[in-house]
Amino acid sequence: MVGSEDVDPVVAERAQPRRSIVVCAVIGAAVMAAVDEIVFHQLLAWHHFYDRSTGEVGLLSDGLLHTAELLALVAGFVLYADLRRRRALSPAHGRAGFFLGAGGFQLFDGIVDHKLLRLHQIRYGVDVTPYDWAWNLAGLVLVLIGIALAVRARRRSRTGSTG
Amino acid sequence: MTPAHVHPAPAAASLGLLESVVVAATLVVAAAYVLCVVRLRRRRDSWPCARLISFTAGLGAVVWAVLGVPLSGPFTAHMAQHLLVGMGAPLLIVLGRPLTLLLRALPPGRVRRGLVRLLHSTPVGWLVVPPVAAVLDVGGLWLLYRTDLFAESQDRPLLHAAVDAHVLFAGLLFTFAVCQLDPVHRRWRYAARGTTLLAAGAAHAVLAKSLYAAAPPGTAFTATDLHAGAQLMYYGGDVVGVALAVTLAARWYITTGRSLTRRAKAAAVLPR
Repeated sequence: MVGSEDVDPVVAERAQPRRSIVVCAVIGAAVMAAVDEIVFHQLLAWHHFYDRSTGEVGLLSDGLLHTAELLALVAGFVLYADLRRRRALSPAHGRAGFFLGAGGFQLFDGIVDHKLLRLHQIRYGVDVTPYDWAWNLAGLVLVLIGIALAVRARRRSRTGSTG
Repeated sequence: MTPAHVHPAPAAASLGLLESVVVAATLVVAAAYVLCVVRLRRRRDSWPCARLISFTAGLGAVVWAVLGVPLSGPFTAHMAQHLLVGMGAPLLIVLGRPLTLLLRALPPGRVRRGLVRLLHSTPVGWLVVPPVAAVLDVGGLWLLYRTDLFAESQDRPLLHAAVDAHVLFAGLLFTFAVCQLDPVHRRWRYAARGTTLLAAGAAHAVLAKSLYAAAPPGTAFTATDLHAGAQLMYYGGDVVGVALAVTLAARWYITTGRSLTRRAKAAAVLPR
């Protein structure tokens, strides 16, 4: 981007807190999904490429989630780069969004995928209750951190704009 | 290469003919591309060298895949060939922007007008609608692996060639429609193209996983071969899918950057 160097592309752009949250939440969710896949498939090998229990809905949701994770990672990073280029990124809101996205994905996977739809489990052949609790509590903690960070970022940007 | 020569004489003869047709066609296309670049350069128009390299690499990949893989070899080899012909090579070819080059190199006149009329025609307009191209591409794969077509094509060179041609051209169409690097009559929004890529990628991944569990009907591959082939399809599809997404994202980043610069320039001219 040589062209954008000689002319400052910033034309009275202001920080976009909401967009910062959303973009970083997309990255957070995608990173969490990728970490899950790498940890549970590759490192722990609790999941396999094709589980015998996988039904048709499971296959579909797996394919969709896996592709969405890859595309969200690419889209999230290019949107993030765009925010930075326009100097519209609010880092505090971005951090909050990352935690909200990561925790939100964890909770969605833990409650909707594991329990409501019963698409797959965290581990097979053992009692999954402690794993489920650990999984969902971890997700909840991440979401709570995200909320706390969002509240703090909002308060700060308010006092920043009035003071 | 040697396994191809194990085939009985008639099959080998027709295979040789098909192979030479592919090689000849590829050489003609490559020569045409180079001629167009030379023409542009002569009138001091620039054409990035990277596009030429990408385009020829794509053509090379097609030739290599068609010549290098025996007709009825292991499933994994077949899958590697399909990934190359249906996904890798099309992306490389589309990144070479052949249509842009052709439109710029052709002198104004009947040929160029005819080409533009063809590009603006209704059937072509329908074919490059991203979801339509996706259905033609991935839908074709579902037909191939979930009907008897795959088993039938194993020992019929002509049918096999037709399947390969479909895989190549549907792959080209899909990549072209999703990336939209070349001029198209109707532009589709990034969101629509991204969603199409998501749906196609998911359908590809589901098909790959289902192949792990159940081989294409009428075939007798070993379980290890089938599993390796299915995983190759799954992860290979990921790699090219991400490459497509990066192409799309980079294009968005560059075009929005240009409009930002334009706006900044306009603002700098106007008194504040």
